[in-house]
Amino acid sequence: MTASLGFGGSHAANNGSATASTSTERPSNAALTQMLDEHALAPASISSLEVHGATNTRKSLLDHVFKPVLEDTAPAGTTMGQVLDRVTAATKKLTRFDIFKEEGFGVFLSEAPRPESAPPTDRTELDVSIRVKEKSRLVFSAGTDFGNTEGSAYTNAVARNIFGGAETLSVNASAGTRTRSAYNATLSAPVNGNPDLRLSAEALRSVTQKPWASHEEQLTGGNLRLAWLSENNDTHALAYSTVWRQLTGLAATASPTVRADAGDSLKSSITHTFTRDRRDNPMLPQNGYLLRSISELAGWGPLSGDVSFAKTEVEASGALPLLAKSGVSIGGGLRLGLLYPLPLGYSPAGAAQPSRINDRFQLGGPTDVRGFKIGGVGPHDGADAVGGDVFAAGGVNALLPLPRTGPDSPLRLQLFANAGRLVALNSKGTGKEGRGGLAMDSATVFKGVTSAVGELANGLPSLAAGVGLVYAHPVARFELNFSLPLVLRKGEEGRKGLQVGVGINFL
Amino acid sequence: MPSISSAAPSWRKMQIPRPLQQLFDQFPLQTYEPNHLPERSHHLTSNDLPTLYVFSTDSDARLGLPSFNPGCLKWQTLLRLANLDFRTLPSTNHASPTGSLPFLLPPRTSPTTAPLPIPASNLLAYAQRQQQQQQQQPKTNSTSSTNLDPDLPPRSQAYLSLVNLSLRNAWLYALYLDPAHTALLQRLYIGPSSSSRGVRAALLYQLRRAAAEQIATGAGGKIVSLAPVTSAEGIDEDAVYRLAGEALDALASLLSESGTGWFFGQERPGVFDAALFSYTHLMMEYMPGEGSGGEGAGAALGRMVRDAGDGELARHRERVLKTAWPGWDGYRR
Repeated sequence: MTASLGFGGSHAANNGSATASTSTERPSNAALTQMLDEHALAPASISSLEVHGATNTRKSLLDHVFKPVLEDTAPAGTTMGQVLDRVTAATKKLTRFDIFKEEGFGVFLSEAPRPESAPPTDRTELDVSIRVKEKSRLVFSAGTDFGNTEGSAYTNAVARNIFGGAETLSVNASAGTRTRSAYNATLSAPVNGNPDLRLSAEALRSVTQKPWASHEEQLTGGNLRLAWLSENNDTHALAYSTVWRQLTGLAATASPTVRADAGDSLKSSITHTFTRDRRDNPMLPQNGYLLRSISELAGWGPLSGDVSFAKTEVEASGALPLLAKSGVSIGGGLRLGLLYPLPLGYSPAGAAQPSRINDRFQLGGPTDVRGFKIGGVGPHDGADAVGGDVFAAGGVNALLPLPRTGPDSPLRLQLFANAGRLVALNSKGTGKEGRGGLAMDSATVFKGVTSAVGELANGLPSLAAGVGLVYAHPVARFELNFSLPLVLRKGEEGRKGLQVGVGINFL
Repeated sequence: MPSISSAAPSWRKMQIPRPLQQLFDQFPLQTYEPNHLPERSHHLTSNDLPTLYVFSTDSDARLGLPSFNPGCLKWQTLLRLANLDFRTLPSTNHASPTGSLPFLLPPRTSPTTAPLPIPASNLLAYAQRQQQQQQQQPKTNSTSSTNLDPDLPPRSQAYLSLVNLSLRNAWLYALYLDPAHTALLQRLYIGPSSSSRGVRAALLYQLRRAAAEQIATGAGGKIVSLAPVTSAEGIDEDAVYRLAGEALDALASLLSESGTGWFFGQERPGVFDAALFSYTHLMMEYMPGEGSGGEGAGAALGRMVRDAGDGELARHRERVLKTAWPGWDGYRR
């Protein structure tokens, strides 16, 4: 079946024979390149443009991609080179819908047959024929997955192009070492036929164990998310999410802090994430940089819910190659985060509730501050990592190729030193101490946050250094490190000796 | 090493080579004072007194007023009768080591040590231990108003099951399944959990389902159908209230036989008095059955208590209130 796309130029194309002409007049690649080089500056326009093989795709989606091509190439001064650039850009756009097979693309050009009555022109009228192969509409898969410090097994079903407009429904069920069970369903669709602007809706339910704080957390909720790719390849996402969190399943040894926070809460928030990834290889960066920020506003104004705060986290990391092509590189990273309690709902000057354990930051572990247990940095109540409201963490590392494996091998020797500081907001020294209820007025919150930020620089940060092996698998990065804590606070849990790290996002 | 040493895994028992051990012992090179706990934690859990976690409201808990949950109220009453010093903190079942409130958390011995909780089943032993310690200190003039390990006759078990089955089922049915008390149920149990309507609806459904199951599985509830009971439909409401009425009458006549004002001829109130009080007090306070409103059977639980044995049980409730909460006039402001 042919999804026809309307006609450019002034001539009607002979649509009936289109399929036949593309298959018979197929020039070889080399000949095409030569022809194109010769004619790149020759005036040209598109007489007809056809897409073959998009059986299940709506015409309106293709129109969004190709209409601009026809419109842009219609003016008299258009050259052959411009026509080709536009067509190539449009096909690239088509691939980003993720509904066509990459290897199935073919673009065929032929000169449009000219009706005898038409006046002669010096413009080449082109018939463009694009062949695509659609991906399977329904895909089931099962396998194993690695996230940060966790492995899981999953089953996944994806229905692609459900309504013919590149809509995707993905249903996922997984069970893992830490996330005991997780179910989610996501429906996403491009907005306005633009593959770089997607709207998605997700429903999710999960149970996650948090052994570093002796409890498990059950999440039930959903989110609505708009994600876009900017012109310079930065990704942005804006999401509204509402989640019912249940902190339950406490261990017998759970600390009073965790017991005080057990139970239900609803978080209603908007989140903006920004990522600029200019690294050559995310699993083993040797060159380039990464910038990421996450900003969240919860419970404030119309958001309501049970918790209210502004929370932001930024990350910057980069790597520089040393001695060209030797595989030696040095890298560094910095992460900062701040949680600022806000009054709930519509009361700008009202009292704010201090943060709960499931909203606070955790720091430490093989994927951020190595040489510490997971959640090993920051305030501890007994053996429980209870999290903090402000953190700063940074690290430097050098990657060296192992002898006898070249710079192309995914194996590296790593030397590292990293440090972190995680501080909780409290009203000590704000004049409120021990008086009144739990809520804090805005002045107290401000003083508390200021003193917590100041506390970051009080003394040396908790620090560890070590040496280890890095293996960069395309799915995840594996590290085996030997490290020793150099500086820590009482209660913080350092790790002396060997530590294994598996993850996709390392400091 | 300053970090908390958890139980060493078996492979750690393997001897670490001495030079390596000596190297390890050098680290960390510097150790600072511990981090402060977060504000919420600091405020809620740093107290010199043991904390009894109960179902309550913030203001009631601060004043130590009676909990609205019978299970919590029983132990709260007993600890108060035993004249032990403790404070109460509103909480949820999720916080408890056993999955249900109450439990007691002893005070911290240092700012960041975590004491182990004492579940309800061990509270009696805890109270007895504390009482002995108090008696060994002759200076304290706090005379306990309870007798924690009296010799109760064997039949007390039978009467206790009247409280724990018949009265409990009636209370559960009236509060959780009777639509007349939906507003009360929401105010007491649902509202404090979340402000979200969706979460409240889900919790209400879960609570009702659990209550129906409890009533049906407790032998006191007459099972009408063989299918698992998950709602009020599967339960014979009249039978639940009738059994509760019979139980109240039996308890009232038992109390009048006793003659001392406390059960089984005791001179001072004990565990049994606290157990009965936890239901009679809540029934009279929250379901008084006065006035024209709430003519349903559920609304009359308080009246059933008042009528039992010519007010015998109502007077018993007054006595317990006076003994356990001497300074409180029985009204919330």
